[in-house]
Amino acid sequence: MTTQQTALEHLQVIRSLMEKAHIYRAISAPAAIAGGILATGASVWTIWVSAVQESSNVPPSLFLTIWLGIFALCTLLNTILLSREATRRAQPLVSADMKLALRALAPALGAGGVMGICLAHFWHNQTLAALVWIVCYALALLSTSGFSPRSIRRLGRSFLAVGLLLFILWSAVPDARVYQHEEAVAAACMGLTFGLLHLAYGIAVLIRKPQPAPSFE
Amino acid sequence: MIDFGQIDKVIHEKARLSIMTMLASRSEMAFQDLKAELSMSDGNLITHLRTLMQASYVLESRDESGARPRTSYRLTPEGEKAFKSYIDLLEAIVKATKPD
Repeated sequence: MTTQQTALEHLQVIRSLMEKAHIYRAISAPAAIAGGILATGASVWTIWVSAVQESSNVPPSLFLTIWLGIFALCTLLNTILLSREATRRAQPLVSADMKLALRALAPALGAGGVMGICLAHFWHNQTLAALVWIVCYALALLSTSGFSPRSIRRLGRSFLAVGLLLFILWSAVPDARVYQHEEAVAAACMGLTFGLLHLAYGIAVLIRKPQPAPSFE
Repeated sequence: MIDFGQIDKVIHEKARLSIMTMLASRSEMAFQDLKAELSMSDGNLITHLRTLMQASYVLESRDESGARPRTSYRLTPEGEKAFKSYIDLLEAIVKATKPD
């Protein structure tokens, strides 16, 4: 083997291992904590208004507005934080890594978003909408497994396990499906997952913050 | 003119090159993670890590706080410099021998 062939082969080894070892965190910890607090708050408020006070129901339109609003706020906050991180690393916000992450996340998030909105708006079934959101979000996170840190993979697996468990419970318990304050059941599912799981993820990441990668520039 | 004698013999071995690349990509890696990512045996991995540590390219750290002690490795500044020089030299070789 010539020196050039060896050099090329070694450069290919470096490239493939660099790609394999590369990590991109698509969800920043502070955004996850903010989202967790908002989701928990919205969940507690919905349960309080509809099930505890029994004064009024939370209509599907308000349910959708609340959760889509939280989603929009968290997406905006996450984008701002990722932008700051990109600036710190002297990289563009829409980097090759971000494009890769968006390509992986988009199919499951898009499908879950459309199905959930239709279920809540046309079928007035907020619980099933919440369960579809939870499972599709889990699948979206797991689709980034190839390049995401272990904490994101754990978050995806936790969402999937809790989402499927809640779906089994909701399917197996008839009372839950015909409960008068259905939005309270949906809010509880959302709070347990988008609220508490995000809080646990964000806190765990902040506690175990990694050291910055060595620079070769 | 490229001096082929400049090639760092410590890094110019596929297993050690792979270890250096993984450590250059991540700030720190545990022994078990390195072993899993590179599909190497315990004996093979520790031998190459020792060679890299003797060259002061890699630093070992032990964390005894958990239930199981965890040994991690990271590149030293000398290791980072040597790895960058090695890549530069490989690129120079490829460029120099590339037909026009």
